[in-house]
Amino acid sequence: MAEKKISYEAARDELAEVVAALETGSATLEESLKLWERGEELAKIAQEWLDGAKKKLDAVKP
Amino acid sequence: MFETSSDAPATVAVVTQAIKEYVDRLGPIWVEGEISELNERSGVMAFVRLRDLREDMSLSVMCHKSVIAAAQPLPPNARVVIYAKPSWYTKNGSLTLSAREIRQVGVGELLARLEALKNLMASQGLFDSDRKIDLPLLPKKVGLICGRNTDAEKDVVENARRRWPSVVFEIREVTVQGALAVSEVSAALGELEADVDVDVIIITRGGGSFEDLLPFSDEGLVRLAASCLTPIVSAIGHEKDSPLLDLVADFRASTPTDAAKHVVPDVAEEIEMIAGLRNRAHRRLMSVIDVEFARITNFKDRPVMKDPGVLITSRSEIIMALRDRCKRGFSGHLKLAKEELVQIRARVRALSPQATMDRGYSVVQLSTGEIARDASTLRGGDVLRLRLAKGETNATVTANTAKE
Repeated sequence: MAEKKISYEAARDELAEVVAALETGSATLEESLKLWERGEELAKIAQEWLDGAKKKLDAVKP
Repeated sequence: MFETSSDAPATVAVVTQAIKEYVDRLGPIWVEGEISELNERSGVMAFVRLRDLREDMSLSVMCHKSVIAAAQPLPPNARVVIYAKPSWYTKNGSLTLSAREIRQVGVGELLARLEALKNLMASQGLFDSDRKIDLPLLPKKVGLICGRNTDAEKDVVENARRRWPSVVFEIREVTVQGALAVSEVSAALGELEADVDVDVIIITRGGGSFEDLLPFSDEGLVRLAASCLTPIVSAIGHEKDSPLLDLVADFRASTPTDAAKHVVPDVAEEIEMIAGLRNRAHRRLMSVIDVEFARITNFKDRPVMKDPGVLITSRSEIIMALRDRCKRGFSGHLKLAKEELVQIRARVRALSPQATMDRGYSVVQLSTGEIARDASTLRGGDVLRLRLAKGETNATVTANTAKE
């Protein structure tokens, strides 16, 4: 799993910023590519947090 | 009186006669008690055993049957007040009260006395709510004072066991009615209060008449209950009955079953409650995760993320659009330029002598390049340049023929 250095909320909020930046389109092409890659990474981290939580919950299903 | 000694003892007759004289001097008195036996079989006289309301003591009473008749209807164990004179029977040396009047202590009077007692105790703060002690959630031992193998006892024990199988009881079966009730219940209460392991005491009995429940309003018993440190649950009679014991008890149960319910928790209910809470927590968490899941998915589905190519395609579209515009613009210029060229060429052609030359004319130029217009300015031997419709040649002037 990707090394989770930031919290779920941090990943989600930064992802929101990346998407907003990309959607305004003001970034240069090169910046946009970098932003997009960062977006993908953030999404992956957030996803891993949620999957982890879900697994923990399912394990304890009452 | 008279002296006696072992040498000169008094005879029985003398002694019993002396007692009789002494007793006869006692006047009639009002006595309260409970008729525990009533015997009207022989002759005109009726024989009654009058028992004390609290203590285990009694007196024999004798009266004319009419006195009994006057006090009818007398319920069993009727509580009465009698006007009687103590009499000593020398024949068998026994003391009996010869009653002139028997009056039943009416319910109304009892109620009045009860009310008075209640107000007195209330004024002494015995019923104050801050005196009430909370019942323990899980008692080590449950003290139970009840009638002998009564329904009340069964209800309490069975219900408590069903709710909390490992409940331990300390039961005292006592008489719960009539004269003995007060002393026996009090004794049992004392014992259970002294037992350290007993954390709560239930005092219960089934329904009954007003008189039946009266012992549970007895001042002595009620004050004793009030003084107990162990919490007391009172479950006396039916819902509507409310003996004074209810007011000093720490909890008043409407029925024996209700008492059991308040003394031990219901293991099944507790388990269910906990399971319910766990369930709610789990559901709450699941919904949080689902909501966050949706948000992340939403981000990922946004065009900029889902199809990054759009970053490039949108730009390339811009580029292509620009190119198109260049092309269009360029081709526009080109067309313009071409048209201009055509016009220029047409103009050049229009200005150029070619068309005239085609019609046979030629252009003569001097060596300086000027065009020869005036023959008179030519001299023989001048070199001329002749442009013909097709090609060029040179010529030299030979003779000049002026033409007017």
